[in-house]
Amino acid sequence: MKKLLLGVALSALMCSSAFAAKIGVSMALFDDNFLTVLRNGMIAQAKGMSGVELQVEDAQNDVAKQLDQIKNFAASGVDAIIVNPVDTSATQAMSDAAAAAKIPLVYVNREPVNVNSLPDNQAFVASNEADSGTLETKEVCRLFKEAGKKEANVYVIMGELSNQAAVQRTKDIDEVIATPDCSFIKIIDKQTSNWKRDEAQNLMTNWLSSGKPFDGVIANNDESAIGAIQAMKAANIDMKSVVVGGVDATQDALVAMQAGDLDATVFQDAAGQGAGALDAALKLAKGEKVDKKVYIPFQLVTPANIDKFLKKN
Amino acid sequence: MRPDGGKDVSQTSHGIGGLSYDAKKRPWPAEFNVFLALVILVAAFELVGRVFLGDSFLFNTRENVSGLFNEQRLQIIILQVSIVGIIAIGVTQVIICGGIDLSSGSIVGATAMIAMSFAQVATVNGNPNPKAMFIDYGWTDLPVIVPLLVAIGCGLIAGLVNGLLIAYTRIPPFIATLGMMVTARGIAKWWSKGQPISFPTDSFAAIGKGLMPVVIFISLAILFQLILTYTKYGKHCYAIGSNEDAARMSGIKIANHKVLVYAIAGILAAIAAVVLSSKNLTAQAGMGVMYELDAIAMAVIGGVSLSGGRGSIIGTVIGSLIFGVIISGFTFLRLDAYYQEMVKGVIIVGAVVLDQWRQRRRAIGA
Repeated sequence: MKKLLLGVALSALMCSSAFAAKIGVSMALFDDNFLTVLRNGMIAQAKGMSGVELQVEDAQNDVAKQLDQIKNFAASGVDAIIVNPVDTSATQAMSDAAAAAKIPLVYVNREPVNVNSLPDNQAFVASNEADSGTLETKEVCRLFKEAGKKEANVYVIMGELSNQAAVQRTKDIDEVIATPDCSFIKIIDKQTSNWKRDEAQNLMTNWLSSGKPFDGVIANNDESAIGAIQAMKAANIDMKSVVVGGVDATQDALVAMQAGDLDATVFQDAAGQGAGALDAALKLAKGEKVDKKVYIPFQLVTPANIDKFLKKN
Repeated sequence: MRPDGGKDVSQTSHGIGGLSYDAKKRPWPAEFNVFLALVILVAAFELVGRVFLGDSFLFNTRENVSGLFNEQRLQIIILQVSIVGIIAIGVTQVIICGGIDLSSGSIVGATAMIAMSFAQVATVNGNPNPKAMFIDYGWTDLPVIVPLLVAIGCGLIAGLVNGLLIAYTRIPPFIATLGMMVTARGIAKWWSKGQPISFPTDSFAAIGKGLMPVVIFISLAILFQLILTYTKYGKHCYAIGSNEDAARMSGIKIANHKVLVYAIAGILAAIAAVVLSSKNLTAQAGMGVMYELDAIAMAVIGGVSLSGGRGSIIGTVIGSLIFGVIISGFTFLRLDAYYQEMVKGVIIVGAVVLDQWRQRRRAIGA
């Protein structure tokens, strides 16, 4: 009897230390490499905690569907909601819906338009997008200088034009090039590949067909950089003579870097963002305070430090 | 037709209200108009390029390269539409047969994922392949025939399901293939839980290397142009598309034929998937999004009638070239991507409007 009582007391003690929570997660889309790593990072983090239950849904890039999912989460009484917004300008309605139901809300990876007016129990977890394109372009600039270039012409491959990250990263490139330190870099042309490898491959081949001499390619993401590399290799261009930069540090990109084709990429800690979002959501659910903006830092990846990143993302 | 240009007895009257058929008012085949549009488009880019950029769209202006034409540009014009073009061949015969196929883009996605997982290498740069799906089973470095057969199987199954649904449940092709479009995309995402599948064997990578996509596209186009023109299969396609009831009355097995048509479209989408994933050395769940609509647009621009019974593979190939010229032309002029999409839309609608207008005018006289 004593043992039983002790057991009950112990288990009661353990329960109070492990916080049981049901968290609803609405992802913008499932078939995106990066968001998949983020999603898996969140799921892995939740598995390591007892009592935390995740319900992950796919908004399939549909704003209306995502809002419905949030309302359904609210109706089923989850303890917190994590949203990876489909459209960053449509987040006010989501914040309102969660606030009305008094359920904490955490935006992850994509910065909501109302980020500066979020209610107390809402937060935003991501990497500071202004860093990624800046780190990438500065490294490309450094490599040009190292090669002793007095003038460098580059092509810029942009992501999907309606996406905030693509707009920001392209702006970063322009800003770095505008600094006196890197003003010797000139952009020949910039076009979109919609983040896609095959479109980037076609785009690069089209550029190559104009025969203009160029020194580098700065891409908004790794898939586009790899597409450009494949097109250049098909045209028998020596990859040592061209500087190529990307963002994301995907497995494919790291392999391209090991092969000496890709010169710089930027690691965005997807799993870290997922885990960070879950962390913030749990704290908010417990009624603790969380910073309005939680930033997980970007890290530059080069052949010099690639080993550190091979097992991530 | 009689050599003296008179009317054939069997063709004296057809069409609306018994209007008579006048051979003289049928000036040239529909494909000619599309070809003319292509030539005009190329000429326009050439002209604008010369005037505003001082550069040629079509001809070689580089000193370090020999040749009259800018061969690299000519190649990319067709290379960048080859993969969707392969799908468009399948879609063309579906539309001629009076149907529609919205599922081809998703079939590309699902097939690419599944086939690629059987085409992976065990080691990359001396490390175990980080993306290998079946490495635990030892299913790596398989002969290229394995992923090829898997791909054809995937396309065949998807196409058969489409065809059987349409032929035997009598639901409209739009709905049946819409269902497949959603389902196959779901399969593509589920297969590796959204992860890309990369690093194929060299023999698999050879399928889409260099100009291979173009070779495959043109070979299939010639094959299907011949099939549609000279075989019973092709003639039945046109018959069913023109008038399904009449075709049934004359003894054509409509249901069987439709199953076959969609199955072939599925296989062609699978071939496109193999070429695409081989060319890109990766398979991703988002591959092929919107390809179905681009393929339909290529066919429609090429003079294939959405109401069935009319059109040809040659037309579709020219339609695909128009797409290619637009993409390359706009990159050549360094115009923003926004304009590309706007112009593409206008051209799709414009092509159909012109074709309708020409249809009403031609061949029907008082």
